[in-house]
Amino acid sequence: MRLAYKFDDDALVSGEAASVRAASRLERLESESVYILRELAGFARPALLFSGGKDSAVLLHLAIKAFAPQRAPFKLLHIDTGHNFPEVLAFRDLRARQTGLQLIVRDVEDSIRRGTVHLSAERSRNAAQAVTLLEAQQEFEFDALIGGARRDEERARAKERVFSHRDAFGAWRPRAQRPELWGLFNRHIGVGEHMRVFPLSNWTEADIWAYIIQEQIELPSLYYAHEREVVRRDGLLFPVTALTPAANDAAVERVIVRFRTVGDITCTCPVESDAGSAEQVLAETLIATVSERGATRMDDRANAAAMERRKVEGYF
Amino acid sequence: MDGAILPLRAGAESRQVRFMTAGSVDDGKSTLIGRLLLDAGVLMRDQAASIGDDEEDLAALTDGLEAERAQGITIDVAYRYFETPRASFIIADAPGHEQYTRNMVTAASVSDVAVIVIDASRVQGGALKRQTRRHAAIAALMGLDVIVAVNKMDLIDWSQERFEDIRTAFVDVAGALNLSGVVCVPVSARRGDNIVRRGGADWWHGASLIELLEQAQGPASRRDAPLRMPIQAMLRDVTSRFYVGRVEAGSVRPGESVVVGPQAYPAIISSVRVGGLPVSRAEAGTSVAIEFDDERDVTRGDVVAAPGVRYARSVVADVCWLDETPWRAGRRYTLRQGTLETQALIEDITFVHDVEDFSRRDGASSLSLNDIARVRVTARDSILADTFAQSPGTGAFALFDPQTNQTCAAGMIREAIA
Repeated sequence: MRLAYKFDDDALVSGEAASVRAASRLERLESESVYILRELAGFARPALLFSGGKDSAVLLHLAIKAFAPQRAPFKLLHIDTGHNFPEVLAFRDLRARQTGLQLIVRDVEDSIRRGTVHLSAERSRNAAQAVTLLEAQQEFEFDALIGGARRDEERARAKERVFSHRDAFGAWRPRAQRPELWGLFNRHIGVGEHMRVFPLSNWTEADIWAYIIQEQIELPSLYYAHEREVVRRDGLLFPVTALTPAANDAAVERVIVRFRTVGDITCTCPVESDAGSAEQVLAETLIATVSERGATRMDDRANAAAMERRKVEGYF
Repeated sequence: MDGAILPLRAGAESRQVRFMTAGSVDDGKSTLIGRLLLDAGVLMRDQAASIGDDEEDLAALTDGLEAERAQGITIDVAYRYFETPRASFIIADAPGHEQYTRNMVTAASVSDVAVIVIDASRVQGGALKRQTRRHAAIAALMGLDVIVAVNKMDLIDWSQERFEDIRTAFVDVAGALNLSGVVCVPVSARRGDNIVRRGGADWWHGASLIELLEQAQGPASRRDAPLRMPIQAMLRDVTSRFYVGRVEAGSVRPGESVVVGPQAYPAIISSVRVGGLPVSRAEAGTSVAIEFDDERDVTRGDVVAAPGVRYARSVVADVCWLDETPWRAGRRYTLRQGTLETQALIEDITFVHDVEDFSRRDGASSLSLNDIARVRVTARDSILADTFAQSPGTGAFALFDPQTNQTCAAGMIREAIA
């Protein structure tokens, strides 16, 4: 893959009008992601993890491009913690209808009822998604789960493969990962095992926003500035919702905010921003001084290895 | 916020340089990466919160896994991203210890340049550490350019003489390995001298590390190489069949005469699409969909190539063994080249590369983890006879163990036999 990313200034100047150079960064990233998605053509039952969040919206857009004029050969799978923002769920359902891809939703609530998930103070519904995800993987015998995780998000993800093998227990074994050479992905799995595939591995948060602008990709409204009731605590803004009411003594403020990630309501915080368009969000992203997950995710703040431990259990 | 347009264009159009880093914690490799990220201003406040000028804190930034922090070593390749106004970078940060040679090979396969970190305070009389020689040998095998960061110069009072001794020693090594394009830069990662900002030595008038990286070219462009496009899949709509894949070398355009697969069936490309839109030309690195002027029996694994392409059943290759299970004579492996998978045997070992003294050990009969050897490989189906030097995208292959599904070797074709 190495030379796929050579950039030649001359090509920019001398290229014919309609000629495509693997030159600009977004073209290179798109070509790499399309190549990865097309490597899934041989899988029998692949599913694309689609939450309605911005990374999965970009992933779905790329999947449709990669397989045009055919329909993308993926089912959409969402693991619903029961704590999602209604705007995001509505967007999820809309995109599924628009693309004609079958959407499967599995609820953490059902896993709790079955007794496979026990929640506790330390264990948020977000972490519990791993159990429900693996149950869905087994129910539908998915042999590949395609996720929008990026290596720039978090230190355990920085070590993730593009084609990341999961054993029959769905576990990630970070110390026994298969070497990944050039673009020669090892797609082989044994009975009951599956592959996690991350086509956006080499994208950064800024790349995602630049691509959203270039391709005019729609997102849930929460990603853009809106007024919301929040409580300030530990340098974070906690949204006040029916699920997360303010404590009696807490000072509730109305603040213009946007979300950088839209996960579980109980552990996702917005940031103060008046960025009302993707262009403005990108401009802020380029000068941001706090990382995406550090700014917004309580679950990753708990412990430096929080993400790694969740991933080992089967989290995406 | 109207200024948004400018940074977007600058970022989207910038050069991308992929480099790997080799060296151990002792050499200050992790400190060097931490310093690079910190001084390039790309570390986010929460990530930089724990960092002072303390070396351990800088190094801790790059150790991603729990086990790594517990043991104070880097186990696996970590990927990091940053940019300067002139280029964007992907770092493949590989552990330096001998038992992790396979990670260096993995990192090298997605890099154009290797930054080799040397602890200047521990080089006596110009004798480089065995580890440094190993890193240089692997960079040479995998065709990377090399930047040598001579680190901890502050500990030897920025002695120009000792820097020159190390440079001379490395140039000797490079000569023995046919390694070209080697540059050396004196740095102190701990103090941040010559990483991003200049400092330390008044005698140094060369570039800083970041400037060298921004200027890095990597191996020559493949745009002028003959076309190679391995087919990933066939897609169809009501009237058409589209063959999709990534151009690995050369370029593809409508009207072009090509040959398909080892039987070299002649064909004419009637259309080329990128992202669903017709284009007049697509170059190496681009994922495309093509149509032929008439129906073809083409499947995944076939390669669309410029006329004159050669195939072979047997090739001479350097392989690096990456699996804990050693190679077994007579065992069939799955060879992947481009999108083709076929069975293959390592027929015999010509010699084993000693990556520390650069000698060749004849008569070897085994290959185990981290061994690098010149071998003869025979495949069940014909494979492209491209050499790695001419066409890295198709002159490389991987071996998988069909019984364990492990990735067990990285291969680079040196010549075709038949």
